Amino acid sequence: MYGEQGFTAYDFVLWAEGLGVSVGIFLASSVFGLAIGILIGLTRYYKVPVLGKLLMMISEFLKNSPVLVQLFLVYFGIPALLEIDITPIQAAIITLTGNTAAFGAVIVISSVEAIDTKQLEAARSFAMDEWLILKKIIYPQSVAIAIPLVVGLAINQLQVTSLISVIGVVDLTRVGDIVNQRTFEPFIVWPIIGGTYFILAKLLGLLGARLEKKFSAYRYQAGI
Amino acid sequence: MIEIDKLCKNFGDLEVLKGIDLTIRPGEVMSILGGSGSGKSTLLRCINGLEEITSGKIIVDGLDVSRKSELREVRKKCSMVFQQFDLYPHLTVSENITLAPISVLDLEKSEAEKKAEELLESVGLTDRSHYYPAQLSGGQKQRVGICRALAMSPDYLLLDEVTSSLDPEMTAEVLDILKKLAGQGITMISVTHEIEFAREISDRIVFLDDGKILNDLPTSEFFDENGGLSDPRIAKFLSKMSGR
Repeated sequence: MYGEQGFTAYDFVLWAEGLGVSVGIFLASSVFGLAIGILIGLTRYYKVPVLGKLLMMISEFLKNSPVLVQLFLVYFGIPALLEIDITPIQAAIITLTGNTAAFGAVIVISSVEAIDTKQLEAARSFAMDEWLILKKIIYPQSVAIAIPLVVGLAINQLQVTSLISVIGVVDLTRVGDIVNQRTFEPFIVWPIIGGTYFILAKLLGLLGARLEKKFSAYRYQAGI
Repeated sequence: MIEIDKLCKNFGDLEVLKGIDLTIRPGEVMSILGGSGSGKSTLLRCINGLEEITSGKIIVDGLDVSRKSELREVRKKCSMVFQQFDLYPHLTVSENITLAPISVLDLEKSEAEKKAEELLESVGLTDRSHYYPAQLSGGQKQRVGICRALAMSPDYLLLDEVTSSLDPEMTAEVLDILKKLAGQGITMISVTHEIEFAREISDRIVFLDDGKILNDLPTSEFFDENGGLSDPRIAKFLSKMSGR
């Protein structure tokens, strides 16, 4: 009967490949996205004229529209607009990078603004320049504030990667779909796929907790 | 020498300083008194370039505070101690003190740390160098604030109501340290509400009222019945402050 061919060893290979694609796209879009998010946040914080406002407008749009819609816009829109070919994986990375950047920028701004500005004034009074202040005072404190927020964002973006299966990227979710259609064992396939995301998310959470402990040492020691 | 010439400072429509002329000579210990809103903190902050000058000039040892390129040099000469301490919370006491000397004055780390230790010892905080600011009392924080300022080896020490956030006991411990410093030849400009302290350490008192200098006298004359006290506004201010 169609759909009941049982599991094969190759399904494990498929699973591993799907996992690799999902993790790869997640990592690439997180790294690029956070880097861009930091730049957007800083242009806003330092009130860079025009650019600061423009980037915030774009990120507002990215935050307030469905990722799936953004994905379609990139996948179908860019080839039409620029007359270039774009692979599903490229479209996925571009979309998720933009989305991560938009949310990352908000985290950057709120973490930087959470710092007491009077200590920055004190630093200026001791002839420290803005770059030095950013590096030695703003950065370490805002990172400590941002880490839990970034981990939350990362876990969310990991789940969002499953959307890219609809434009034909063979990620973890798409692998589940393929195997499920062949074996017709949804209660085996989907718990495994879901469990894989769950474990990845937990790993991210653990990593975040360690980083937070490292950067927030001064807060813990001081009992704040 | 600090030369202040026709200094005006507005915040929007609000005129805070309305033409200040003042010369502060090296080694002088000067206190600036005045009621809230008289502009005394603003005057101090203008000297360090923390407030942009609306008009007039401030020249510190020949350097123009309004010029970006010269402001940096001015700031190396003028260290400030703040009302709310404004220490860097993520750095230890020692790191708070050595950050600017290492990164701005290019001092060797070991040298800066040694100096920090000496300074901490002089204010009775020898064993606190590895504490974080949040682990210290207010008075201890302000003593660190003083060390942080002194670590720059400044020619001028600007004190902005440094005891206003402290309770009387902690105020006393901070004032004791400043009294010692005042005898060591550093030029001190202190904005304060501590009348007795001002009287004890200062060579000279400047009284600000509504953004203008109402009186600028040697300390003994300022507190004399025929000197500063003959002005009803000053007499009223002093009786109000000492009645606290």
